[in-house]
Amino acid sequence: MKLLTHNMLTSHVKGVTKGYPLLIKATEVKVSEVEFNPQFVIRMIPKLEWPSLVQAAAGLGYLNDLPSDLVPDYENNEEFLRKVHRVLLEVEVLEGCLQCPESGREFPISRGIPNMLLNEDEV
Amino acid sequence: MSAVEGESDGHQCLDIAKDCDTAKLLSEPVTVTIGATVPTGFEHTAAEEVKEKIGADARISKDRGRIYFEITTENLPRVHHLKSVDNLFVVVQEYTNYQFKDTKEETLEDFQKLASKLPWTNPLEVWKQNNSLKKKRWRRRGGNAARAKASTGSSKDGVDAVTTETENLQLESGTPGGGSGEPGGLPARDSDTLGELGDKDVDEQEEEGTDRLLKFRVTCNRAGDKHSFTSNEAARDFGGAVQDHFLWKPDMTKFDIEVLLNIHNSEVVIGIALTEESLHRRNITHFGPTTLRSTLAYGMLRLCKPQVSDVIIDPMCGSGAIPLEGAIEWQHSFYMAGDNNDMAVSRTVNNISHIQKKRQDKGSTAWGLPIDTLQWDLCSLPMRTGSVDIIITDMPFGKRMGSRKKNWDLYPSCLKEMARVCRPGSGKAVLLTQDKKCFAKAVSQMGGLWRKAHTVWVNIGGLHAGVYLLKRTGATYGMTPEDIREPREANETAGETKEHA
Repeated sequence: MKLLTHNMLTSHVKGVTKGYPLLIKATEVKVSEVEFNPQFVIRMIPKLEWPSLVQAAAGLGYLNDLPSDLVPDYENNEEFLRKVHRVLLEVEVLEGCLQCPESGREFPISRGIPNMLLNEDEV
Repeated sequence: MSAVEGESDGHQCLDIAKDCDTAKLLSEPVTVTIGATVPTGFEHTAAEEVKEKIGADARISKDRGRIYFEITTENLPRVHHLKSVDNLFVVVQEYTNYQFKDTKEETLEDFQKLASKLPWTNPLEVWKQNNSLKKKRWRRRGGNAARAKASTGSSKDGVDAVTTETENLQLESGTPGGGSGEPGGLPARDSDTLGELGDKDVDEQEEEGTDRLLKFRVTCNRAGDKHSFTSNEAARDFGGAVQDHFLWKPDMTKFDIEVLLNIHNSEVVIGIALTEESLHRRNITHFGPTTLRSTLAYGMLRLCKPQVSDVIIDPMCGSGAIPLEGAIEWQHSFYMAGDNNDMAVSRTVNNISHIQKKRQDKGSTAWGLPIDTLQWDLCSLPMRTGSVDIIITDMPFGKRMGSRKKNWDLYPSCLKEMARVCRPGSGKAVLLTQDKKCFAKAVSQMGGLWRKAHTVWVNIGGLHAGVYLLKRTGATYGMTPEDIREPREANETAGETKEHA
């Protein structure tokens, strides 16, 4: 699971109103290179929940000086865009789990696949 | 004719071909017509890709599932990189209104006469150049059966299914001696060479090919009910004449050259195959029960025009064919492949790893793809509301997967959940289903959230299916009657909501 995916995911357990962001508990993390496309990052940033991305990256130890507030004029800051690219697409959680911040329900991650299926009583 | 003579004739024949080859290299590249089979219904998409990548205007044949376009030989490598085509061939001759004779005997005699009259030179030149470009098929035991199966699969004309035949030519009985490739009188070392050659790749054989006869077969596809002959008879008589003309050796399985005789009503096209295996078999190594062809996945993706930074999900990804094709061809988007089934997500991860491994082996440093796999329930997606730009999926038809009865509950509830996660105003969905009645009902119930923009009719393994392009209305999820009331009650109010949307 890449952190971009994590940024889009939310807990959907029945009754939960504040299921975002999911807390990452990682036991194995891998970094694999993905081709850098500045346009992709520039246009993705407005779709992100920035604080959750920073929090997730910090939690895994891959913050790499990313500021907690978006820098102004980031469109022309290649160094910044490369850092964002890295945490969005290159850092991957292979093993561990995601935890719902409200209910505490854990969703296991194995082989990089988060299992977000709910039990019948949770839907 | 003795076999030894046959061999020396073949030698001469190839020498002549080689001379032509040298002459060609010195002169201008030749212009030929390429024919391609494409998923039925996606002819226009394929034509669009040909225009974009090769710059040629493609003609769409009335024989659905085929396109034709002109290229010069220098563009041949690019043709093999087209993503929407299944099989490729070079056209030798095309008759749009072929005059069949009244009797079977006369018609077949015409086919025999045809072989020596056709303009073979340029197509054969293309075939030669193509040998170094085409993807080799792993030669298996029982290759004949596999091949026959493949060609049946590619004849997608469901209309004339009863009269469409794909049969193979068996020449051995009609031409004793000429077909034998193991002449007893040959010196021992030649036999050894022949034995060795059998284990090598086709192109290697080509290198040393002057020492042996070319092997060929004729495959006839016939569709239409006004013919006095069968495809088998046409292939047999035409093939016999081709053999006499070139002195090639017929071989059903280990052929070097496959001559195609396509007959569709009064249209006759003679071609030479340029692909050994359909190009749709490219990404998927771990197949599931209903894996979508990569060429069809490509066509569906093209319909929704992925933009830079689009978040694209396939909520029922199966083996991952659609998101994987997307991640390879439109790398500027981000893909999430999900399924509720353990086997399906596992296959998807395996297919992604396989492609990434291949990229790594090719020496790419940035071999990772912008794609993730998840396990989820499509009626309860773990996604933020309005976070997805494109939803693209192959829905259960209710035949091989799921059931028609279940679809009546599944379709409305998944369309509703898709509407929730999809970005209002700009979001899109491209959905493939054969359960058209159920789908139409479900969409009309969701009129406030989805608008039908375009439908492409396709033929999938003989099933008539629709690819629906839906556009997300600007209505905020949770504010339309559809998602508050039960879907079935919402029917009456659908018209009302359309206005405010």
